[in-house]
Amino acid sequence: MTHAAAIRGKARELLQTGQVECVLGYETGSRGRVRPAFIYRPEEVERLVWNQACTHNLTTYLPAKLRPTKPGQTPRHVAVVVKACDSRAINVLLAENQFTRDQVHVIGVVCDGIVEGAGFERIPESGAAPPPALQRRCQRCDDRVPLVYDTRIGEPPAEHPLAENLPGDAELDRLEAMTPAERAGFWLAQFDRCLRCYACRQACPMCNCPTCLYERDDSLWVGMGIGSSEKRTFHLGRAYHLAGRCIGCDECERVCPMNIPISLLNRKLAKEIELAFGYRAGLAPVPGPLVTVLESGEVKP
Amino acid sequence: MPVQSGGERYEPRILGFLCTWCSYTGADLAGIARLKYPSNMRAVRVPCSGRVAPELVMRAFDQGADGVLVLGCHIGECHYDNGNHRAAKRMPTLRALIEFAGLEPERLRLDWVSASEGERFARIVQEFTETVRLLGPCAWRSRAAAIPGVGLETTQAGRSMSEAGGRP
Amino acid sequence: MRVLSRAELGAWLDALAVEKALLAPTEVESVVLYRPVQSSAEIAPLQGNASRPVLSIKEAFFPPTERLLLIGKTTGPGNGTGGQFRLRETLPEGEQIVFGVRPCDARGMRALDALFLHTQPADPYYARRRENTTLIGLACAEMGPSCFCKSVGGGPDDPADVDLMLTETDKGYVVQTVTEKGRTLLAGLELREIEGEMPRSALNEPVPIPDMLAWPPHFQDAFWEQSSERCLSCRICAYVCPTCRCFAVRDEALPSSQGEECYERIRCWDSCAGDAYRRIAGGHNPRPEKGQRLRNRYFCKFYYYPQQYGPVACTGCGRCIEACPVNIDITEILAHLVTG
Repeated sequence: MTHAAAIRGKARELLQTGQVECVLGYETGSRGRVRPAFIYRPEEVERLVWNQACTHNLTTYLPAKLRPTKPGQTPRHVAVVVKACDSRAINVLLAENQFTRDQVHVIGVVCDGIVEGAGFERIPESGAAPPPALQRRCQRCDDRVPLVYDTRIGEPPAEHPLAENLPGDAELDRLEAMTPAERAGFWLAQFDRCLRCYACRQACPMCNCPTCLYERDDSLWVGMGIGSSEKRTFHLGRAYHLAGRCIGCDECERVCPMNIPISLLNRKLAKEIELAFGYRAGLAPVPGPLVTVLESGEVKP
Repeated sequence: MPVQSGGERYEPRILGFLCTWCSYTGADLAGIARLKYPSNMRAVRVPCSGRVAPELVMRAFDQGADGVLVLGCHIGECHYDNGNHRAAKRMPTLRALIEFAGLEPERLRLDWVSASEGERFARIVQEFTETVRLLGPCAWRSRAAAIPGVGLETTQAGRSMSEAGGRP
Repeated sequence: MRVLSRAELGAWLDALAVEKALLAPTEVESVVLYRPVQSSAEIAPLQGNASRPVLSIKEAFFPPTERLLLIGKTTGPGNGTGGQFRLRETLPEGEQIVFGVRPCDARGMRALDALFLHTQPADPYYARRRENTTLIGLACAEMGPSCFCKSVGGGPDDPADVDLMLTETDKGYVVQTVTEKGRTLLAGLELREIEGEMPRSALNEPVPIPDMLAWPPHFQDAFWEQSSERCLSCRICAYVCPTCRCFAVRDEALPSSQGEECYERIRCWDSCAGDAYRRIAGGHNPRPEKGQRLRNRYFCKFYYYPQQYGPVACTGCGRCIEACPVNIDITEILAHLVTG
């Protein structure tokens, strides 16, 4: 049975038995592009697909979908199709009490990696030659089996890829090798074309503050303008707020209309957090080190 | 003091966040004891070093600070039990971030000063001021400081299509 | 037909760049944008639609951030009474030329003009830039995969809204003078007369566009809520659009000089897609749901705006289709209105 058929079968069952009111999955949209799908009726599950263009992190829709809109409302239940990276987001959201575990039926798919251009270009034909390149985050990925799931689609590979066989993060290495002045120049050039469209923030499951600190009407932390210093403040501040929370799906980078390598900031901080605290976001539904007290024996600076 | 072109020596502008219970009191003690230390630091009293959010630090650099000094109680002595634990984890993370963004991490310093450590306070401020002096003015200052008395006349009107913004 | 060779075009643009600000499509780290260039060598390759910038020319008239006023506040003696305010308008200066303007971008000016120029009071900042800008158009040899300019009254070779129109042929660029401003810019330039037919651009399948009055009966459709579920409420579609023109205004502090607090009044791009856009003082928000905001976006373009101001606020450029990360496709929306 193909993954797509398995997903449809499970979705149908969950909707028919009323276990969930909605299944968040993927469908083929216009112009052959994959897009998020919200399925409410069993008859509609045929819309669901699974392929290597299923790039979106659907967990970003969970906090809003599961939040009670009126006090005393019965908690809602949904199912969500996730890849391994997306499943890590579920752990972070659970740790932050965005919803309870029983509200989500997680359909975790063992993924083969997502291709470049997913979501924007026509889905490549299977067996197309040459095979389309995988997104860089997928090339770096060391575990394609979801960490959190109620239903698993696909079998884990016989062997996990060895860390030494995976390509490192060449982009990050290049930045780290620069002098501070070169890095400052690099980021200035990148932020120059940023428009503060906030797509990066909106795509991120962990960016779910009701009012973003950097969008306050009183300009308390950053001015409203779309200028260099404001953009720098926004991006660095957002990266900081995601330290220990970002799970590396890199959707922020995919959605950016200006091709700004925004997830470099997140990857750098993820590396720092791992070095300093031995912690990786999303491996378990526990809070990250920046909101907890020092372990005994840890003394900084 | 504004940085002015043509001859004036650069004096680092330092913003210090001092926690009420330990480091601010320590600073007071330094004053009472008439200890000498550079006057470049402007002190902002906060309840706890754990209150110092990264937004505060970033805004300080954006608004003209050349260095930011965060002083809290020693670990284990925090008035709020573990507020300084937060600072202990936040500040190094923030330093790594600003370094990655091209700003010298030495411009941000976290240290511990207890209420009785007036001399330690003075020494830390002295050291930090010198460090920041050697680093030079912070490149992140968002706009040149207005020239006294003529700010409005000389500040330029908006330009068209430069760096995705309509003003200098 | 009068033509310019590629080399002659380059030399002419180089000369123009010396006298005025020349904005042209140029590659900025893998993205093509209209940016000031110092020479024609910096212009992105012009073949096909590969060099159409991600953003429209709207930036040249209505920048993402614009300073409107400088405000100086002196505090009076004593208890803050007797202080004075000085206001200085900061109108944009300088002339500019935008080269490589696609007909869809140029047509977008109609929607912007209807609001900023033809509605009283006219916007002096926009008006100043409009007056001081010359548009050199570039026809598209073919429509892009998401383009539907022809269906909304424009066309890939439509010279209507530029000052000069260039069309590439194998004999060089055919130059059409459209306005007096264009004629003035050409002064002194020698063009060769050649025989030949004006090339016409290759067209796409037309996209059916619903009549303006077809919209109100669909206001309550469940379609809006359904289509909007995947919307991220970012601002990409509004920002890449040649006609979207909403902005926010705020007074913000500047570094102050002795005795005088300085502020600037700025405006910058805003979008109705955000949850906070329509929230008013007191906290009420008439459009808290994404479906309401999505509906508003399309009603504005095809119903509210033409009803109030005249032009349809869509030029069929297809940028929103290309840029939306979750495949919200304006042609799908329009199809729903057409088929009911």
